[in-house]
Amino acid sequence: MSSAVLTYPSDISSVLDAAKPVTVPSPWLDDLRAKGRESFLEQGLPTMKQEEWKYLSLRDIASRSWSASEPGPAVFDFDLPYVCPGSIRVQIVNGQFDRNASQVPAVKGLYVGSLASALSDHKAIVEEHLGSLASIDSHPFAALNTALFHDGVFIYLSRAAMIEPIIEIVHVACGSDQVSAPRVLVVAEEGASAKIVERYITDGETTSLTIPVTEAVIAQNACVEHIRVQDESTEACHIGLWESKQEGSSEYKAYNVAFGGKVARLDQNMSFTGEHSVARLDGVTAAGGTQIIDNHTRLDHAVPNCNSFEIYKQVVDGKATVVFNGKIFVHLDAQKTDAVQTNQTLLLSPDATINSKPQLEIFADDVKCTHGATVGQLEKDQLFYLMQRGINREEAEGLLVYAFAAEVLELISIDEVRDDLEARLYLKLN
Amino acid sequence: MLEIKDLRASVEEDGKEILKGISLTVKPGEVHAIMGPNGSGKSTLANVIAGRDDYEVTGGSISLNGEDILEMDPDERAHEGVFMAFQYPVEIPGVSNTYFLRAAVNARLKAKGKDEIDAMSFMKMIRDKIKLLDLPQELLSRSVNEGFSGGEKKRNEIFQMAVLEPEVCVLDETDSGLDIDALKTVSDGVNALRSPDRMFVVVTHYQRLLEHIVPDFVHILMDGKIVKSGGKELALELEKHGYGWLEEELAASN
Repeated sequence: MSSAVLTYPSDISSVLDAAKPVTVPSPWLDDLRAKGRESFLEQGLPTMKQEEWKYLSLRDIASRSWSASEPGPAVFDFDLPYVCPGSIRVQIVNGQFDRNASQVPAVKGLYVGSLASALSDHKAIVEEHLGSLASIDSHPFAALNTALFHDGVFIYLSRAAMIEPIIEIVHVACGSDQVSAPRVLVVAEEGASAKIVERYITDGETTSLTIPVTEAVIAQNACVEHIRVQDESTEACHIGLWESKQEGSSEYKAYNVAFGGKVARLDQNMSFTGEHSVARLDGVTAAGGTQIIDNHTRLDHAVPNCNSFEIYKQVVDGKATVVFNGKIFVHLDAQKTDAVQTNQTLLLSPDATINSKPQLEIFADDVKCTHGATVGQLEKDQLFYLMQRGINREEAEGLLVYAFAAEVLELISIDEVRDDLEARLYLKLN
Repeated sequence: MLEIKDLRASVEEDGKEILKGISLTVKPGEVHAIMGPNGSGKSTLANVIAGRDDYEVTGGSISLNGEDILEMDPDERAHEGVFMAFQYPVEIPGVSNTYFLRAAVNARLKAKGKDEIDAMSFMKMIRDKIKLLDLPQELLSRSVNEGFSGGEKKRNEIFQMAVLEPEVCVLDETDSGLDIDALKTVSDGVNALRSPDRMFVVVTHYQRLLEHIVPDFVHILMDGKIVKSGGKELALELEKHGYGWLEEELAASN
């Protein structure tokens, strides 16, 4: 009798033994990390036989030998992508907060700093929320992150704080074949608001594996815009988890921009625990060459009267593969839910692949839920229209692809970030 | 001068022949109206001049100022001065009208080896011209044709024509779906562009447009051929008697 092989043999767990101790002793954290370790060892690296990992092969990651990340350099020979004037700048290298390279002026109502330090400085809040959202038992890399992380960034918005400067976090991964486990915790107290840009990049063409976990706790009446940009090298692997929870009357706008990675995946889970809340979870993916970019989203409408909007746009060129799996669960009690999901893909090459799987499960009976998935090529009529006005084919095609993705980028309210991403997209496509 | 000689064209997809030998000469300053019943090939003629690749040219020639344009891509024809006002202007979400127009203007300048227009002069120029077409300024910042009413789309075509100042203006059923006010605005826009060195080919189903854009010549197209040519009075005759009259007349002469 044979059974399907559900996990890959791998010695990646050897990095567990090299897990760094946290600078601030914390029995609470030791306990959390132990849970992560246990969970990871139990799950292993899933093969494509497991439904949730059906379209993303971890064979390459499983077969390589990895080491735990070393502290990286503080200075790089390129400019880090901080784009907003007067912003709060956080530099995290291989998961470790670099205090000297960061620029964190004092702002009333805001704490931005090392997660390790916050474990002692903001013990109660951190212990209440850190690890409270990340579904480590259904995401082996989040479990591994939980076992490994020894620092990261903690962002705390106190009650009714309206934070004006943009908070820009840049995570740099460096060092070949190293696993880094950045950790981000955002806690927005009642009525607070802020805009956060979280970027993942690599130091050149490094062959790193980054396994970040971001948790965002959004309290009542809070309003947070959070843009996550994964722009690592196409030699690097990136597998992350981003999870959020919203209390009543809150608004959380979460944008996922994924351009980089040889093998990249993000699981984005959002849930409502209070009524009259609004969530956006939109994404732009551009993949070329032999890149594989997999986005899984999950939205839990657990309570009534919440609205969610989701637009995912994907541009796939070369021999690249893109995956979209968008789950929306409308629980039995979640009456008057309004959920809209759109997933559109532009295939630019005959060898490009898209696997799109919208998945709506609705248990309430008085709801408005729509979803649509389309896959197409460039519209001939649009191309002819542009060319008839004198624009050459190459430029017209570029304009149409860019316009396709821009529909999501336009949602971003920070001009500098939007312009920067549009420029990066343009570069990526040409 | 635009010279079309014995032009034959088929639908690329199924090979069905639509244009069965059309000859037409348009001199600078002239307005030629092409009229004909549905399916006669009017729109095909307009699209073949503009270079749409849904059609395959199987014979004949089109030249502009002595240069063969059939081998040119649509953008190259545009650089030579060919402009088509679309029967169904295409919506392009995500591309603003302003960005699109500036790209078009600069593409032409570049093709002529000239410097690109600076943003200030460009904005001034389009603000002046949009008034001609009585279009709201805010349309400039909106995506190309997206969410425009039928009338706004048609006026936007003529507005683009005014901005690009082409040599050959091909109007493909620009009057269809317009109310009388929009028809007047569009016609005024076209008339303002009439000049001794500009050529017009106006494709229309109805005579009513020609009351406002008065043609020098009228050609009747039936089953892929020009069956009758004349002055502007031919359009009136056609309006009075209908296409049936012409079919009978043709049958009688055969």
